[in-house]
This record gives sequence, structure tokens and C-alpha cells, in this order.
Amino acid sequence: MSNSVLSVISRFLSEYSTSTPSKLKLVDAYLLYILLTGAMQFLYCLLVGTFPFNSFLSGFISCVGCFILAVCLRIQVNPNNKGEFLGISPERAFADFLFAHTVLHLVVINFIG
Amino acid sequence: MAQPAGLISLFLLALVLRAQALTPSHHLSSADVTRLKAFLNQPLEDLESAYYTIVGLSKLGVRVSDEKAACQFLKSHHDPTSIDSLFFAAEASQALSDCEIPVSNETRDLLLAVVSEDSSVSQIHHAVGALGSLGLPLASQEVVSALAARITKEDNVLAIIVALQTASRLSQQADLSRILEEIEDLAARLDDLGGVYLQFEEGLEATALFVTAAYGLSDHVGLEPPLKEDQVVQLVNSVFSKKAWSSLAEAFSVASAAAVLSDNRFHIPVIVGTQGPATVSHRQPTLKIQVTNVLSRPLSSASVVVESARSVSSKNVVLKQASFTLREEVFELNFLDSKPASGYYDFAVAVAGDTRFVGSSVELKVKVSTEVGITNVDLSIVDKDQSIGPKSTKVEYPSKAKGSLIADSHQNLALSFQLVDENTGVELTPHQTFVRLHNQKTDQEVVFVAEPDSKNVYRFELDTAERKSEFNSMSGTYALHLIIGDATLENPILWNMADIVLKFPDEDAPSVVQSKNLYVAKPEIQHLFREPEKKPATVVSNAFTALVLAPFLLLIILWYKLGANISNFSITPSALLFHLGHAAMLGLMYVYWTHLNMFQTLKYLAIVGSLTFLAGNRMLAQKAVKRIGSQ
Repeated sequence: MSNSVLSVISRFLSEYSTSTPSKLKLVDAYLLYILLTGAMQFLYCLLVGTFPFNSFLSGFISCVGCFILAVCLRIQVNPNNKGEFLGISPERAFADFLFAHTVLHLVVINFIG
Repeated sequence: MAQPAGLISLFLLALVLRAQALTPSHHLSSADVTRLKAFLNQPLEDLESAYYTIVGLSKLGVRVSDEKAACQFLKSHHDPTSIDSLFFAAEASQALSDCEIPVSNETRDLLLAVVSEDSSVSQIHHAVGALGSLGLPLASQEVVSALAARITKEDNVLAIIVALQTASRLSQQADLSRILEEIEDLAARLDDLGGVYLQFEEGLEATALFVTAAYGLSDHVGLEPPLKEDQVVQLVNSVFSKKAWSSLAEAFSVASAAAVLSDNRFHIPVIVGTQGPATVSHRQPTLKIQVTNVLSRPLSSASVVVESARSVSSKNVVLKQASFTLREEVFELNFLDSKPASGYYDFAVAVAGDTRFVGSSVELKVKVSTEVGITNVDLSIVDKDQSIGPKSTKVEYPSKAKGSLIADSHQNLALSFQLVDENTGVELTPHQTFVRLHNQKTDQEVVFVAEPDSKNVYRFELDTAERKSEFNSMSGTYALHLIIGDATLENPILWNMADIVLKFPDEDAPSVVQSKNLYVAKPEIQHLFREPEKKPATVVSNAFTALVLAPFLLLIILWYKLGANISNFSITPSALLFHLGHAAMLGLMYVYWTHLNMFQTLKYLAIVGSLTFLAGNRMLAQKAVKRIGSQ
């Protein structure tokens, strides 16, 4: 059982490193970073406590929001999905990404207290 | 000719309203009348105030101190070309004896010319009044038609009252019905305040002038005014509720109303009151009642009858249809002849003698008080288990028991006595029957209530052991007092009956008896501010801060490994501007966190953001062109 899981994972990793364009790999690295940051915040909240709660919420939701926006960027920039996003060039996707981030950060900073 | 009809209607009205008859609650007492006269008696300064002074005082039956000087004043100050001036001078001269204002033909013509539809009601009134007082003839019918025309134009309360006053100066042959019916309309405009007062919203002066005008005109015409008995009483309450008048005009209106209410052909409000407190006792067995009019002048034609005197507590009727005897303007009745028990009685008193009397059924509360005597006083010390017979002492009021009685925890103190009415021998149950024990040394005081049993014998028992907490277990000599009191007792009693030595079991260590001082400062309350929440240790916080920032390092490493670089950075102004703007926006976020509020941030963000947007748009467009070119 574990054998097949391991083989699936190693297959996946090799496929990933070969067939993914480097641009997307950059975004994936960014996604991993966001994930780890969010996980660390959540761990703190579990271990130490929720005081101050508003700061925890704003930090955690910032991570979640950034993750989602980066995922959207990745989807829109992926050349394999060009057919789905005919009107949206990668530059446009990046501009949307930046604008959405501005709004997100405004709200997060407001709530962080 | 209208009087029999008036008589019958008033009689029926009195019968119907007997149950809830309203009686005047305000009138002018003798002191008030004196004050009113003093207020009106102001030195003559101008013609209008002279008119109020002279005519007002004459309505109260008083003459101005120096009539000759007043007459001279009127003659010198009146202006023959002014209608108002002529009116004031003429009316005032009529009130003075032997004073005549000289009149010329021009004056007469001027006055007659005013009587037309074009002058205001007030002008017509002054002209008619002046003509009448100066003894000049006038055509009443013309005045009536002018008034009728003016009333329809000037529909306010004061104008109609003035019209009523004018009509009462006209000849009785004239047809005044049109003006007369205004009384009823005006009465409908009165505001009823709580069922006690009836007045115009224009104020006291208007109400008083209305009363004067309505009764003046009704007397003149001989028709009873359409005012119900309750309305008359309410008007009396309104007019005489104010005892300090703000202006001469107001005082004059009150004096006129008082004069007209004390002497007119239809309604005389009657004021019934007791002379002194309404209390009857053996020393003072007669109930004295005064019957006056609104000016506190006694009514000579009145006869007073008490219809029923009912005891408040037992609801028995003690007296029926007894009449008061008149002695020197005071009506007296010896109530104690009917042998009433002490207490309160509701008297229904009726005043008769004149069909014009209004407010003639009065309810009075009369108190019959008596003296109380204490008999059969028995003070004893009873053993709890009743093995030893009780030691009882008989004490006579008001002497004190010889020697002191001793009671310890095995004994009870028992007291019994009877309270009787000294005059009738009836047993009494007053409101206050207290037994007070007072420790002379410690100033402690405990009060108990003695209760009557079924035979009206008062009993009190003190169980020393049971009640020790009230005494704070302080043994010692206590003075025993008996307190008897009631509103109907002339002789409340405070009687030091005996001295009792009380011995309490297991006395506490001599605790200082805190005189239960309620007025000492209480301990200060320290305010507890909200404790700030417990924060985790700094070490923990720092550790987790490092942990949270660590993935950033990982990101840099990964990017480096993946070959991220800025070799493709085209140094165009828009790219530079974009990056600078973006950095500025991030910096703004930090500044927002530390210093700014949302509105300021939005303002700066708008500026920086739009710059960044424009630059970024340009830059990305250039990039897109480059990308498409290379594809």
C-alpha cells in the first residue's frame, strides 16, 4: 500500500519538475511560502491562545486571501489554460492580482489593530 | 319673567348634580381682597391706569382716597380727540362722586362717528361707553348692527367679550339677541383643565372679563346665562386661583369678576368653610361654619343644614337633617349632642336660602376627638415553665411602679392594659400603642407593639431569651415606657411605667455597642480597573515571530534555486515609476497601521494608486508587446 503511494508521489514530483514551466514553479514556491506562514500562525493560535483575536484573524485571513489570489494568478497565467481565458492576457491577470492585493491589504491592515 | 324658569331649572339641576356637585376650591379670602385693593390703589400716572384704579376700587366698594385730586387728574389728562382717552376719563368720572368731564359738540360727533362697521369692536366699545358715561344719547340699533358686523370679521375671544360688554350699555329696547347668543359660543371655547378649572387659553384676564361681560349682559337683558352650575364653579376656580396679579388690567378684571359674581340676578357662588380646623371635642363641642360669597362677605340670607353625618369607619349615619344656628355671621352646630364616637365623619352640608346659590352642596370631613384613659394595667413577671406563680404589679397612670422588676432568661415580662374613652367609657383602639424599653446607660432603645385581643384588652409579652438579639444581649436596667397616640386623641400619652432589669444569658465579651449610626461615612469603594489580558511570555512571542517569518527565507531560497532573476528588467520610466509607486503603496500600508485612519489612507492611496496604475498599465502593455513580438 505505502509502496504505491510512494511511487505515485515520486512520479508526480518528476512529472512536475519536467513539464511545469518555470514561471508557474515560481508561483508555486510563493504558494508554499504563503501556506507555511498561515500554518505557523494557526499553530501559534492553537498552542498559545487567541489573544489578540482580531490580529490572528487578520493575519490568517491575509494568508488565505493571498493564497487564493495567487492560485487565481497561476490558473490564468498557465499557457495550458489559454483557451479558457481568451480575453485575459497574463499581464492583465497580473494587474488584477495586484489590484485585488491592494484591497486585501487595506482590509487586513485595518483589522490588524 | 325668566326667573321662574331659571328657578325650576336650577332646582332640577341641583337635584341631579347633588351626587357629584363641584364646590369652589378657590376664592378671595379677606386677606386676598385687602391685597387686591392695595394693588389697585396705585398712584395715578396715566389715564388708563387711573381708570383701572378708580373703577376697580369702586367695584370692590372702596373709594379713592382723594376724589377731588383724581377728578382733577382726569380733567387735565384726557384728550378730547382720542376715543380711548375719552372712554377711560368718562368711565372713571362716573365712578367718582361729583365729577364731570366737560363735553363739546365736536367730541360728541367724534364719538358718534366711531359707531360704524369700519371701526374695531374695541373702538365701538369705548365710544359707546364714553357716550353712556357722559350722558350723551346714542342709537342702540345702529350699535347692534355695527357690532354684529364686526363680530363676524373679528372672530377672536377678546373681541367678542368686548362686544358683550358694549351690548350691556345699550338700551333694553334694542334687539340684543344676536349678541346674547355669543355667550354660549364663547362658553364652548373654554378649556376644561382636569374638571377643576375652566379658562380661555388667552389667559386669566380674558376669562375674568368673560365672566364680567356675560353676567353683565344677562342681568341687563334679564335672561339667565347658559352656564351650568359646574361651569360656574370651574370659572370661579380659574379666576380666583391667582392671588398675585401681574398687571393693573389683570387685577381690574379679577375685581370686576368678583363684583359681578357676588351680586347678579342668576348665579351666586357660595363658599362654605369651617372657622378653624374641622375638629370637635368635649372642650370645643360646636362645629363652626362660615358661608360667604367669592369676596368673603358673609351671606345673610343663607341657612345651613347638615343633610347627613356618616361615620367613616362604621358607615353609620349619626345625624340627619340638622340645621345650624346663626350666631354673629357664623353657623354653629353642637355635634356632641348626638353623642358620636371618636373618629372621622363625612358631613353632607347644604346651603339654602336663595335660588341663585351655586356650589351649595358641600362635603366636609369632621374629626371628633376625645381623651384616652388607661385602666387595668397589669405588669407581671411570668416564669416560663410556670412553676412559680406570676409576680404581678398593678400600676396606676400616671404614677410609676415602685421598685424595679427583674426578669432573666427563664422569665417573660407580660403587660396588659385597657384603653377607654374618658368621656364615653367606650373601649378605644388607637393607631399607636407602643412599648418602649430604653437602656439609660447605653442609650439603646427597643420598641414593640402591643396588640389588642378580641375583648379589646391590650397585651404584650417579652420573652427575654427570644428577643436578646434586639437588645444586643445587654443586660441592665431598662426604663419601660408606654406610648399611646392617634389623630383623634387630644391627649397622647408617653408614660414611664416602670424600670425593668433584664438579665440575658451568655453575655458576649463587652462589645462596644455601636450606636447604629447610619450617617457615618461608609468605607470607600476602590474602583477595580479592567485587568489587561494575560499576555504570553515574550520568549514565546519572539519564537513564533521567527517561525512565521521563516517561510520567507525559504521562498527566497526556492526562487533563487528556480532561477528567478531580474535580467529582463527594462529600465523604462514607466517601469521605474511603477515599482516606486508599488513600494510607496506598501509603505503606505505600514503608515496606515501605525498612524493614519481609513479616510486619510484612502486619500493617499487614491493618489499613489492612480499613479502606479497608469505606470503599471504602460509597463505591462510594453511587456505584452514584447512577448507577442517574440512568439
